[in-house]
Parts: sequence; structure tokens; C-alpha cells
Amino acid sequence: MRELADIFVRSVFIDNMIFAYFLGMCSYLAVSKNVKTAFGLGIAVCFVLAVTVPVNYLMDKYLLQKGALVWLSASFAEVDLSYLSLILFIAVIAGIVQLLEMVIERFSPALYQALGIFLPLIAVNCAILGGSLFMQERHFPTVAHSLSYAFGSGIGWLLAIVAFAAIRERLKYSDIPKPLGEKGIAYIITGLLGIGFMAFLGI
Amino acid sequence: MKNFSNRYIFLYITVLVAVIAVLLTAVSLGLKPRREANQQVEKAQQILRAAGYGEVTKADALRMFGEAASRRDIDGHECYDIRCADGDSGLVVFVEGKGLWGPIWGYVVLASDHATVKGVTFSHKSETPGLGDRITSQEFTQSFIGKRIVDKDGNFVSVSVIQKGRGGNVAEENRVDAISGATLTSKGVNAMLHDQLQFIEHSESVK
Amino acid sequence: MKQYLGPLRKDNPVLVQTLGVCSALAVTAQLKPAVVMALSVMVVCSVANFIISLIRNTIPPRIRIIVQLLVVSTLVIMVDQILQAYVYEVSKMLSVFVGLIITNCIIMGRLEAFALSHSPFPSFVDGLMNGIGYGLVLVVVAFFRELLGSGTLWNYPVVPQSWYAAGYLNNGLMILPPMALILVGGLIWILNSKKSSVK
Repeated sequence: MRELADIFVRSVFIDNMIFAYFLGMCSYLAVSKNVKTAFGLGIAVCFVLAVTVPVNYLMDKYLLQKGALVWLSASFAEVDLSYLSLILFIAVIAGIVQLLEMVIERFSPALYQALGIFLPLIAVNCAILGGSLFMQERHFPTVAHSLSYAFGSGIGWLLAIVAFAAIRERLKYSDIPKPLGEKGIAYIITGLLGIGFMAFLGI
Repeated sequence: MKNFSNRYIFLYITVLVAVIAVLLTAVSLGLKPRREANQQVEKAQQILRAAGYGEVTKADALRMFGEAASRRDIDGHECYDIRCADGDSGLVVFVEGKGLWGPIWGYVVLASDHATVKGVTFSHKSETPGLGDRITSQEFTQSFIGKRIVDKDGNFVSVSVIQKGRGGNVAEENRVDAISGATLTSKGVNAMLHDQLQFIEHSESVK
Repeated sequence: MKQYLGPLRKDNPVLVQTLGVCSALAVTAQLKPAVVMALSVMVVCSVANFIISLIRNTIPPRIRIIVQLLVVSTLVIMVDQILQAYVYEVSKMLSVFVGLIITNCIIMGRLEAFALSHSPFPSFVDGLMNGIGYGLVLVVVAFFRELLGSGTLWNYPVVPQSWYAAGYLNNGLMILPPMALILVGGLIWILNSKKSSVK
């Protein structure tokens, strides 16, 4: 149990998707003009990560890894399909996003109103695929570990985009050097926030 | 825009996936020997570095490794007899364990008394850059040189990786300082050495 | 010809369109992985553009995103396997970031915006130019980070030993990931101020 909490805290603060690995920067920069939409996208990312990473974990464990197919027949012990993992992961992600969109639309129109526009964006968000790839590299022992990691990363991403959007809302009233412009300052702010987050490294 | 029937879409995807699967399998199988050769060269380089040969170029690694080392597994543990850079003979022991995020592994070179560490190298899959990945740094690996895996009565104690200032009852020759900021990775190294060097104490065939 | 040169500066995908930054910045602490990454993106981007453009009339619109993803990920897996076979150390440094080329917005963006509506050869050039534009930013950022952060270029020491003796220190901050973002911010600044002075 302690281990799970440990992974969670680490993935929120220390190995933060945005500030440590720059994953999902495209939508992070594009959808952070105000806090409300940023929050919506953050929740959606969190949700999709928490669903896709455990699914891909099972895929990896029972389909792709060397010797993963033993449960089918002992003669498959030497089969190593891990070179297919990229393509399978992205297919799972695209499929699940599509499925979620339909399910949410059917059962919760209110939630669909809030998240709907973000879901298609998410299939090609690097943070989602990145989550699955880091999960594969880190060899978590159980599904619970991978879920804790996915959820933590999602929360970390949410935290980052909301903090950034709040700063950007204030930025409208500040006097930025003209050539630096809105985009330039956005990069620099993210960099400074990242340096701030590095303080968590000591934990 | 043209209209496509469901049957067309279904066929289209099926053909596409089939083509891709064949292509990828071919590439993967075709390049497999080269990938495996790379891994062997890297392993040879690591073992040679632990044995004091310094950085060996890729071109020389396999040849030098073949001349200096020969595999001799002991009780199912992967080991090598090796002639170290200083001319002494040594025993290389492969160790593997778990770091913070993923597997860590390494090679420990013991002197002919099977108690004194002549050198180590560590590798990792995915430790945090700047923190846990410093287990591969020279600063850390060189602190192992000359340490002993037995206490002064000759009992196995391994080399403990302990934070500076802690663990006062462990003799200086049995400990190295942990990496500050990477407590869990250091603990992983500690546990790996304890678990995987222990067999040497009980094994008769070592002598 | 002129429209193809846009991505190098005026429409640079990273600096102006803010696309594809995701994977761009984590690999720029040293020049060598940055160059390999830039080359990989160039290859994937141009070839994917070419292939998609070639089959653009046969793709049913309803599944076009999936088809694009499949083609791109196939190319990326091939690149990954080739890197592992021929430049093993660099591929270890790049780790998961090669895989993340799949979700690089530049590639998907160019497929949608250009390859689906143009013939194969222009698409190829367009992909190549966008790849180069992306690569340029990567290489410039990596150049400064490695030079100032480690005092080396392509792993060769370039800062003379006498400087260190005189008290020069490497700027360790440069190695840290956030500095990449701040450097890109600076690049945008320089680029924009040049542009406005031309006007």
C-alpha cells in the first residue's frame, strides 16, 4: 500500500508529465487561455490515462512481453512481440477514446457537454501515449501499481495546466516586451514553473 | 467526397493491418542479429570497465573480453573468471535487482580472495535522470573499490549502501555512501548486492 | 518553391505554430541525441506525408485518423528498430521519445493539412521541410545546452582547460529540462524582433 502511495506522489510532483518530460505540451499550450477549459481538459486527460494505462499494462503483460504468451501454450515462451507495442498501444488508446466518447454521450449528456470537445484531442496527446510507454519501461509488478502511476500522472498534468492557465489569465494585464509575445512568454513561464517543481526532487 | 461502403472500410483496414504486420515482422527479424550484437558489446564493455580496463572502444571490446574473461557459472549464478587490468585474476559476478522505477543490474569484480571488491559497474533501465541514474557515475562506482563483502571475522555482510552519517555500527570497509536525493534507488542497489552476492559464502566451488 | 521554405523560419512548426514541442525538448541536453531525433522526425514526416498522399483517394474519411496513426506508427517502429541496430547508445538515450514521434503534432498536422489534398511529391517536400524546421530548433537548443551546460559539443570538450583553471564553471542549470523551454522562449523573442524590424 505504501508503495502505491509512493508511486502516486512521485508521479504527481517529481516525475511530472509536463515539467519533467514535457509530454502533452501541444494541448497544454493551446488550451490554457482560461482556467475553466484548462480544468476540463485536465480532467479528461486524467480520466483517459487512468483507463488506458492499466489496459495497456495487461496488453503488455499477456501479449507483448517476451514469454507473455505462455498462458496460451508453453511453446510460445520465446515469442517476443514487444516491437509491436507502439502500434498496439496507440490503437488501444484511439479505440478507448472513441468508446468513452460514445459511452459518455449516451449516459451522461452533462459530462459529455463538459468533456466532449476534448476527447478527440486526447487520442493524439503525447501525455497519453507517453504514460503507456513509461509504464512499459518501468515494469510495474501489478495492475494496481500501473493504475496508481497513471492516476498520479493525470493529476500532475491537471495541476500543471490549471496553474499555468491561472498565470496566463493574469498575464493579459501585464506589459510583455512586444517581440517576445504571448507564445514566447508561455514557454518561459513553463520553464520557470518547471524549475520550481524541481524543488520536489529532494523528497 | 466519395462514399465508402462498410464492407470496403472493413476490407481496407484488414489489408492495411496485414501489410503492416508483415513489414514490421520482417524488419524486426532482419535487424535482430545486429541488435543482439550491440547488447553483447555493451556487456563486454561494462565488465571490462569494472575490471579496471577503462573505456574500451566498441571495436576492441569483444576481442579483449574474449582474451581476458571466460564464463564460469557458479551455482546457477552468471560468473566470469577474468584477468584484471593490473594483472591479478578476479571473479566477475552478475547482479540484478530492482531500482525505483525499473530493473537495475551490474557486474561486481572480486579479487582472488573472493572478498575484496576490485570494481563495479551498474546499469539501469529508467531511474530518474540526475538522481537515480547517478548509480552509473564513476563517482559512485569508484567508491566501491577496495571495500570488502565480509567482516573482519570472515562472515558475509555484503557492501552496504547507507546514507552518510547513518548506520554507525557498519565498519568503514563494508559500506559506501548512498546517493543523496536518490534514497530508493540506493536502497535497491543495497538489496541487490545483499541478495546476489550471498551465494559466494556458501559455495564450495568458488574456492 | 517559396511556399516550401516557409517552415524553416516564417512558419516554423515549433516557434510559430507551437506544434510538436512535446518530444522536442526532453532530448536536447546533448547535441548527438538531438540530431538523431531531428533526422528521425524528418524521415518519418516526409515518408508518412508521401505514403498518405499516395493512398489519399482510397482512404475512407471515417477512418482516416486511424489509417494515419497506423502508417505513422509503422514508420516509427521501423526507425526505432534501425536506431537500436545501428546507433545503440543514442537509442538508449532517446528511450521512449522515439515512440512519441507518433503523437508529434507536426506529423499528424501536416498529414491532415497537406498530404490529404496534395499529390505525393509536393507532400514529400512539405514533410521534409517541416521536419527540417523542427530539427533546426532542436539542434540550436541542444547546441547551447551542451556548450554551456557541459562545456562539450558532440561529446568533445571545447571549453579549454585553462578556463576551468581560471575559475570557469559549467552552468549545471542548462542540463536541467526546464532550461530548454526558456531557451525556446528566447529564440521566439529573437525571431520576432528580427521579423518586426524587417517590416
